[in-house]
Parts: sequence; C-alpha cells; structure tokens
Amino acid sequence: MIGHDRITTSSSKPPLRTGTNIEGGTTVLNAILDPTGRADELDAGAAPTTLAHRRADLAGAHIGLLDNTKHNAMLLLQEVGKLLVSEYGAADVSIVETKRSFSVPVDEEIVARYRESCDVVITGVGDCGSCSAAAVADGINFERAGVPAAVVLTDAFLTTGRMMAQVQGAPEYEWITIGHPFAVLDRNQVKERARRVLPEIVATLTIGTAE
Amino acid sequence: MSASSSTALDPDAAQRAIEFCYEEGWSDGLPLVPVTRDLVDRFLATTIRPAAEVIGRMPQVNRQVTVELAAINAAMAGCKPEYFPVVLAAWEALMRERATGGGGWQSTSGPSPLIVVNGPIRTELGFNSAGDAFGPGFRPNATVSRAIGLIVRNVFGVKPHELGQATQGLPGRWSVCIGENEEESPWLPLAEELGVPGNAVTSTLLRTSEFVDNRNTSNAEQLLGDFADTIGRSGALLFKHALAGVVFCPEHAQLLAGAGYSRANVAAWLAEHSGRTTDQLARAGKDFAPDVGARSPGDNARSDEFQPTMPSADPTTMLIAVAGARNAGISMVVRYFADWSGTSVPIATALPILEKEQSA
Repeated sequence: MIGHDRITTSSSKPPLRTGTNIEGGTTVLNAILDPTGRADELDAGAAPTTLAHRRADLAGAHIGLLDNTKHNAMLLLQEVGKLLVSEYGAADVSIVETKRSFSVPVDEEIVARYRESCDVVITGVGDCGSCSAAAVADGINFERAGVPAAVVLTDAFLTTGRMMAQVQGAPEYEWITIGHPFAVLDRNQVKERARRVLPEIVATLTIGTAE
Repeated sequence: MSASSSTALDPDAAQRAIEFCYEEGWSDGLPLVPVTRDLVDRFLATTIRPAAEVIGRMPQVNRQVTVELAAINAAMAGCKPEYFPVVLAAWEALMRERATGGGGWQSTSGPSPLIVVNGPIRTELGFNSAGDAFGPGFRPNATVSRAIGLIVRNVFGVKPHELGQATQGLPGRWSVCIGENEEESPWLPLAEELGVPGNAVTSTLLRTSEFVDNRNTSNAEQLLGDFADTIGRSGALLFKHALAGVVFCPEHAQLLAGAGYSRANVAAWLAEHSGRTTDQLARAGKDFAPDVGARSPGDNARSDEFQPTMPSADPTTMLIAVAGARNAGISMVVRYFADWSGTSVPIATALPILEKEQSA
C-alpha cells in the first residue's frame, strides 16, 4: 500500500532520489523512484557563458568554416567566407570541413584542428532537430577552446538550441538566426541570405571580450 | 478480484502518486505507474544483466541508460516484470540502428520504433499478433513500446518541443509493437530467418506505416504491384533512396507464398519495381538525386528513366513480417526512418522461465 501523504501539489519539494525520498527532513522508505537518472544533477542555470577573446576586427584573420551537411549549409558558409575576405580584410578561408555526424557535437580533436588552423569559426546551418542542438554545442565547445564562433540556426529551432545550451552548462549562449525555411532556397537566394547575415556574423566574431 | 482485496486498495493514494508523476514531467500524457524499489527489483530479477550496466548512450547530451533506469521506465509504462527481457531486447535491437546513434530521437521526422516479437514468449506473455495487430488493447504490446518512449523521454531527456523536434510525429509513435503471426505465416518466423530462432525481437525506426488494401486480385504480381506503388511514391523521397519493409496480413502472405515467393523473392521483386520515372519525380521537384544530400529540381533529362526507390534487391534490407487477422487482404508498408540493421536480438530471460524449462 502506498502511504504517500507527503505527495502534495507543492512545487518547492526537493528532488526525489533513487531509493530515498526526503521531504521536510524526513526520509521515507517507500519512495517513488526517479526515472531520469538526473535527480542529483545541479541546475546549470547560474553558470556564466565563457566566450573566447574577440579581435577588434577581422583584418588578416584566418577563417574556419564547419559545414553540418544540411542542404545549402556549405553554400552559405562559403559565400560568407568569400565576403569576409573581400570586404572585411580577412586573410583567407584556411580550413573547411564537413561534420561526419550532424547530430553529434564536435570533439576535442576537431576543435584542436580548428584552433591550429584558424582564428574564428563559422558553423551551421542548424536546420533540423538534432543538428541545430549540436551546432549550439559546437559553438560552445569552440568558445571554451578559445576560438570565437558564429553559429547559424534557422529561427524554427530556438527552443531546442536553448535546451542544448542549458545541457552544455551555458544557458545564456547566443547564436545567430536566419529565417526558416532555408533548405528550399535556390543558389541566388542562399547568397542573398549570406549577404544579409554578414554584419551579424562579423559583430558576433569581433565584439566584446569575456573573461 | 475479491471484495476484501478490492476494499484494501487505496485509490486516493494511487491518484496522488499518479499526479506526482505528472508534476515531475515524467509522463507521455497518460497515467504512469508510480515505481517503488520493490517493484523495480522484481524487474531486475528477470535479467542476469547488472543494474548498473550501461545499455545506451546519447553522446550529444552526455546521457546514458542503465538497466535499472530502463527497468524504472518499463515499470512506469505499465509493463509486468516478466516483460522486461523483451524491453531489453527491443532496446538492444534499436541501439543497433544507425539512426539511434545519431540524431534519430530528436528528428523533425518524429520516428517511432517498430518492434516485432517472435517465439513462444508471445503466447506466454499475451502479445497480440492477430487481429488489430497495430491497434490498442493488449498490455504487452502497449507497454513494451511505451517503455521505449519513456526511456527516450526521461533518461535521454528528449521531450516534445524541447530536444524533441518532431514536425508532426507519427500517429502511434511509441505504440508500434506486434507479435508475428507465426501460426498463420507461410514463412519461417522473421527472427529465425535472420538466424535467431525462438524468442527474439526485431526492430527499426519507422517514418510511417501505410496500408495497402488489396482484396481485388489473386495474381501475385498484381498484388506486389500494389505494394510497389505505395513504396515508390514521391512523397517518401527526401534523399536518393527511401527504404521500407512490409508487414503482410496472413491472406497476402499466403497468396504470395502459394505463388512460390519467399521473403527474399518478395524483397527482390519490390526493390526492382518500386519507384517513379524522372518525369513523375520532376513534377514534385525531386528528379535530381545526388549521391549525398537531398533531392532537388533538375532538368528532367531522360524523363522516362525509372528511378528505383530502394537501392538494392538485398533481401536483408527489407523487413518482412506477418501479423493481423486472416479476415481480409489489408497489409502495412512500414517506411523506415533511415535503414535497418537486418538483425534480430534474442530475448534472454533469467531464472523464472529457465526453471520452468528445466523442470519440464
């Protein structure tokens, strides 16, 4: 028989832990078990987002592009890279890679390759359920490794991007959004999007210094 | 249930416990069974696998499933303890799928597992494999598939509108679990044909399922042609190819077997005949098919060329099972989310059933 008199609608109750149930200082033996495995996890809400040091401008900068395989992503990134060289004085596009798995965030090995090869990274385009979340995690990973990153998602994936930022312990992390849909655009429309998002990418990669 | 035991139950406490589970955000929308240590221990007793063993990972969020967490979610889903080895086998089968190691659970496609159970355990536990095979009404079918959904929701934290990004999701998502109708199938049990005789689970992720109603012909090739039309439709094609299987009703399966078709023959025929011409695909803006990436509008060159929907006639790419009642020619094309491992997982039961076998 369940004798859970303590189960109320109160929202201020402490988390249940597997095998124990603490409320009002009383440990109850016959607890309802937590199915998430994360009852002990701390809220990451308070952690400030650590951003990499920013340059004043992109003059002479080596640009890295990381394509997440989604339709039109590479085209947008290459167009942005080209414009950064021709209009903002960037030295070159020095590294271009395509993610092996769009749903899995970049690992240390990939991050290290970019850190050695370029000064700033542009990545995306987050345009699906898992790749958008992963792109946000990519940006956070690059920033933590000291490489300023501009992450581009379409505006249909705001919530999942925010969830991933929380999971990664950087709930305030900001990315750049472009209008949805994006995959259906033709070549000229993608170039037009690149042109339009360019100032925001430059601002993201150059303004402010955290730490 | 006797009057005395019925009055000993405390519905008020049960309702409070169920509400508590809702408030914690654990539910898929329907009531959950509140799980206690004692209950989960009875689940764990049905398997020899250690409670702490990790049986699934989602690296992008750094979360992992243990046998014990699977047991808690299975119990919450309404499984009986003796169903748990089936849940573990289904989970293992799903972990063999390429898509579950990537972003499948978060996908805009909102895929659902298809779980096919073979072996005597179907009748021992009461899995439905006959009429209403895809429908509700049977505790093992309903709760084993629901358990998988709760593991994904609670342990991986993939909830709708959050990390879950399904655009529409599937009707029947997390409820597609069928026993194979071995008794009325003309072929070997699916898992046995894949090298796993006896109790076993075969599973993949589905994009959808689409009925083929053909009570119109007794000609095997005309019947298969009806399936090829459904498999080949342009709406299913995002990329160059789209893979599918078929869950045949007994009537269709028997007609095909009677005409000499094995599973492999059926797969080969459907692979060859399912598809559209370039011109048909051009009308949907999908005639240009690169080897990597999505289809797009092309120049409709060679407009009469036939573009097959499935990449090869390899029978191990096509999941063919038999389920349903022997009362009409109604079958289901099961459209994969990505591909299928082409394997089955044995259901490993611990002591209770083993003892029964030894004493028999």
